[in-house]
Amino acid sequence: MTKPKFVYVTYIRTTPEKVWAALTDQQTIAKYWFGITAECDWKPGSPWRLKFEDGRTADTGEILEAVPHKRLVIGNWQNQFKPELKAAGRARCTIELEVAEYYPGYGGKAVKLTITHEAEAEQGAPLIEAVSGGWPKILSNLKSLLETGDVAFDTQVA
Amino acid sequence: MSKPVFIYVSYIASTPEKVFRALTSHEATGKFWFGNAATSEWKVGSPVTFHREGRLIIKGEVLEYDPPRKLAYTFKPMHDELYSGEQPSRVVFDLEQQRDQVKLTVNHDDFAPDSKVFAGISNGWPLVLSSLKSYLETNRVLWAPWYDKEKAEGCSAS
Repeated sequence: MTKPKFVYVTYIRTTPEKVWAALTDQQTIAKYWFGITAECDWKPGSPWRLKFEDGRTADTGEILEAVPHKRLVIGNWQNQFKPELKAAGRARCTIELEVAEYYPGYGGKAVKLTITHEAEAEQGAPLIEAVSGGWPKILSNLKSLLETGDVAFDTQVA
Repeated sequence: MSKPVFIYVSYIASTPEKVFRALTSHEATGKFWFGNAATSEWKVGSPVTFHREGRLIIKGEVLEYDPPRKLAYTFKPMHDELYSGEQPSRVVFDLEQQRDQVKLTVNHDDFAPDSKVFAGISNGWPLVLSSLKSYLETNRVLWAPWYDKEKAEGCSAS
């Protein structure tokens, strides 16, 4: 039995410090996450809440690990606004940052961001399907924001 | 054992025409694809080759050429004996306009179940497609060791 999961890798021309700041700053998150942002103090054990612009809760979870500039793990991630996704259970999302030497020994470097979003149970497949559509948009936006100062999309498209 | 499939979605602040041109241009591929410059007549059935510094890296055959929506070719790495025993696989690029952005979907399949090429391209595409996005949005590419710094950073997408 395998847990459904989604893995995505992007390379960004910036520093791990700037990516970390973008991942944990409320105002910055809203810029690349279509107005949604996260409320959290980014400490292990702390609650984490994604909220819409009008304040409604989108998703909830908790911080399992937060190693600045390196690794962020959000556990017990559960959708709170779509009953069919809420029923699909919880997930764990791991974001890892490293200065990647993509040609080892030669010196090609960029920040490699790897995101792994894994359902806690086999019936979590609809969750993973949903995030498989969402993460490429959000992470494309994040890369654009950090490299150009602007996002690709400022509002969600179908 | 099921056959592996690699899928990657990226959103690029550009037009389908510009993304399609970048994917099929000798000059542009040579820049964003870490020196691997494409050569082809881009007619269905015609060969496509990617050379880096005079060395054949990838060869294939054009399967579909439908600018600016769809491009497909067979894909066989030629630069490493590790891959010499494998049949060509297939890569398909789908470009979709979404408002002022392009949704680029890369679907690479037709691998043997234990394919070593699959492992290679799973690492390679996120790097190449991150570089393509940077190239089109910022006129800069991800740096490759065989570029001198000025050349890589001075690349123009125009």
